[in-house]
Amino acid sequence: MAYDRERIRNFCIIAHIDHGKSTLADRMMELTDTVALRDMEDQLLDTMDIERERGITIKATAVRMFYTHTDGRRYMFNLIDTPGHVDFTYEVSRALAACEGAVLVVDATQGIEAQTLANVYLALDNDLEIVPVINKIDLPSARPEFVIKEIEDVIGLPAEDAPCISAKNGTNVEAVLAKIVEAVPSPRGDENAPLQALIFDSIYDNYKGALSYVRVKNGQVKAGMRIRSMATGKEFDVTEVGIFSPALKPTDCLRAGEVGYISASIKSVAETKVGDTLTDAANPAQEALPGYKHVQPMVFCGIYPADGADYENLKDALDKLVLNDASLSYEPETSLALGFGFRCGFLGLLHMEIIQERLEREFDLDLVTTAPSVIYKVVKLDGTQLTIDNPSNLPPAAEISYMEEPIVEAHIMTPSDYVGAIMELCQEKRGVFIDMTYMEETRVNIKYELPLNEIIYDFFDQLKSRSRGYASFDYEFKEYRRSELVKLDFLLNGDICDALSTIVHKDRAYAKGRAVAEKLKEVIPRQQFEVPIQAAIGSKVIARETVRALRKDVLAKCYGGDITRKKKLLEKQKEGKKRMRQIGTVSVPSEAFMSVLRIN
Amino acid sequence: MAGLYIHIPFCVRKCAYCDFLSFPQAEAQRELYLSALGEEIRLAGRLFPAQGYETVFVGGGTPSILEPGEVRTLFQTLRQSFSILPDAEITLECNPGTLSQEKLEEYRASGVNRLSLGLQSAEEKLLQEIGRIHSFPQFLDSFRMARQAGFGNVNVDIMYGLPGQDKAQFLSTIEQVAALGPEHISAYCLILEEGTPLHERVGRGETRLPHEDAIWDMEQEGRAALAALGYARYEISNYAKKGFACRHNMNYWENGPYLGLGLGAHSAMRLGGWRRWENTRELESYFQAIKAGRLPIQHQERIEEKEEMFECLMLGLRMLKGVDRAAFQARFGRDLCAVYPEAVEALCAIGWAEVQPDAFMLTEAGLDMENSALLYFLED
Repeated sequence: MAYDRERIRNFCIIAHIDHGKSTLADRMMELTDTVALRDMEDQLLDTMDIERERGITIKATAVRMFYTHTDGRRYMFNLIDTPGHVDFTYEVSRALAACEGAVLVVDATQGIEAQTLANVYLALDNDLEIVPVINKIDLPSARPEFVIKEIEDVIGLPAEDAPCISAKNGTNVEAVLAKIVEAVPSPRGDENAPLQALIFDSIYDNYKGALSYVRVKNGQVKAGMRIRSMATGKEFDVTEVGIFSPALKPTDCLRAGEVGYISASIKSVAETKVGDTLTDAANPAQEALPGYKHVQPMVFCGIYPADGADYENLKDALDKLVLNDASLSYEPETSLALGFGFRCGFLGLLHMEIIQERLEREFDLDLVTTAPSVIYKVVKLDGTQLTIDNPSNLPPAAEISYMEEPIVEAHIMTPSDYVGAIMELCQEKRGVFIDMTYMEETRVNIKYELPLNEIIYDFFDQLKSRSRGYASFDYEFKEYRRSELVKLDFLLNGDICDALSTIVHKDRAYAKGRAVAEKLKEVIPRQQFEVPIQAAIGSKVIARETVRALRKDVLAKCYGGDITRKKKLLEKQKEGKKRMRQIGTVSVPSEAFMSVLRIN
Repeated sequence: MAGLYIHIPFCVRKCAYCDFLSFPQAEAQRELYLSALGEEIRLAGRLFPAQGYETVFVGGGTPSILEPGEVRTLFQTLRQSFSILPDAEITLECNPGTLSQEKLEEYRASGVNRLSLGLQSAEEKLLQEIGRIHSFPQFLDSFRMARQAGFGNVNVDIMYGLPGQDKAQFLSTIEQVAALGPEHISAYCLILEEGTPLHERVGRGETRLPHEDAIWDMEQEGRAALAALGYARYEISNYAKKGFACRHNMNYWENGPYLGLGLGAHSAMRLGGWRRWENTRELESYFQAIKAGRLPIQHQERIEEKEEMFECLMLGLRMLKGVDRAAFQARFGRDLCAVYPEAVEALCAIGWAEVQPDAFMLTEAGLDMENSALLYFLED
């Protein structure tokens, strides 16, 4: 198809997890013959194993399709798939800037969820045309008319002629394609103007090196051109441009309005940051496109190799991951308990879990992770101000004048049946109720102010279990607020284990100290001596447990046939021992550090 | 010193805790097996270097399930194929539920001079719980018949840590057994092995094993009781009157050579380096190999010297007398304390081991923690 800007449609799909976003994308690709049916794996756009397993999209990905409309003309569709989880709002906002429209997928059995709403507002802020679609109408519990009304009432979007579809069965998906042509405007821009290409994502491809995903706003880019980063002034030679089909496919040229990738002599993705504008070095644009606001990591934790010898491998792995994930931050740190590792910053708890999983799976690393922390502000008696993202760095209590912790505003959407349970949860988590509005008769939107450090542990799991999976939530940073915080330490046989220290509200310290001490008792294997476990605030012990001494570990029998078996057993024990961390005199298995994170 | 082991994989019924290679038999199958075993013995006799065997141990399964004539034939074949020394210790494992005076007389006549009787407990309820086929009175009968047949060297196996067992029951079993005056007592702590019915019952919560503290008490008091009754502990689980330690098993713990024949039997021998091998555990492939005139070996490995040294410790430290330093020196050309200076020092420092001029041994505390002690000798 010859280039015709009028016949380009750039759009993304926004939806809550499980509302069928990736399935819809798959159907669209099928209908447009983008991929042959037999090549089609479920959820094509979700390319990472973890994404597939968890059924979520983490990275924005893109695909180009060609669609023949009822008017007989062929249109070029660039679909940019976006993550659906609260942690990845930032990724969504980047994808949105590359589009003119957004297909809003809402589950006909669930209605609008908190994160969907957040992403819709983001799309509206970016002046995107929203195309509402009601999915899963094949399910018996579908109630499309309620959901249409909800979209109109809650978001204020006309939705009476929203396509009602079943992405799973392929029902009415054609109507969505038609609607995209009709409702989403074609991109503006001038292919003859100086090049302005917005980098909305970047990945590291093992074969092609660092790749920038771009939306060309003006001008054109092709192989052989010398381009310049408008943020850093650095220049690169373009070696290849291409599109996503959805595999990377080289093309001659990317023109204004198009979406694709640029491969250049870029050593690392850090040299072309997401949000940067690329321009023609020979004929530069006057100004850069508006970029993205840089997101600050909200959650921090220490990541250590289970085997100290893997430190360099961990470093290499993080270096590679950050190429694909600009929102990940890390810097070296050391722990008495865990040795050399990294303090890593994440957008949220899911982001943290995903990074850990990717490190372990894609890089085959065994990790030890410390308890997650948020950033606290500390004002000392002498007036010095500190920001602390690692509890171990907190000055002694006697030097602290006061501390502040981050507070977020959380929006929780839930069927009204669970309001009581959810408010109870929020109260337990030191929440402050703001208000509650009915979205429809049986669905409410509850607003709470919550300390971030209360939601980074198990809030999401708790919310799901107390609402039988129906509640959804979204949050945004509000402000720092003074709070009575204390550092809670854990001692094993009298030695502080720095990797277990956390900062908690003083009213929660006792319960937390007891719970963690009990958990430690379960996970620390018996040693050759008794091991006291203490939870302490400063020098004050608030909980105590004891791991009893191991007196016997010999096998009753060992005759001719048992020798090989026994030797294997011993070798396994030795391996296990190697994976233990020495805290003073106590051997602690790596898993112990993780297991204390999961405490109710 | 070399030992000969013969495996009889048949039993009347498998006990709930048993993970040995054994299964109930059909008569025809037993005959086929014994004929194949005879072939293997003849084949091995031709293939392996001639050496005098000082011990023979027929284990199982339940070897005493065999008919008297079958045992006679087995020993005839053995003697035709191997040189069994005149003063050899020849043991046969017996289940009290399978013995008769006639069988025992025949064993004696075949040259068997040591019996190992599996009693496990004097409590009827416990015997049933763990699936034994015999009662305590049957055991008493068996023991009496054994003596009558002229067996002057008898071992009795007993167990502790059985489901529902208490200390009094265990001590009472010791007392009642010791009253008979066997030359040897093996007292094993129950090991819950995966894949056994008992393991499943415990997993489902239908059966509970005694608390580890209770087991500890049984063990401590059981040891003291056995000592008081004249049974000296010479290995983790083995006790004997003076001069009656089991020579066949001592050879295992001294990491000596042994030839194992029969289904799933293991062997270790110096054949161009220290080697260990294992017969197939599948009856069908056992028959096939024998039919084809091959040894039914399924897996064999060459043990490097470093591993061989470790195995000498792993096995030798099970014995109270420990590892003989002169024997170690003779075998490897180096003193044990020079090979493992750090481990030896560390273990002595925490009171788990002792170095004496002629031996390196674990202390009582060290014996209980043998696994942990051995980790000191494994390389990082």
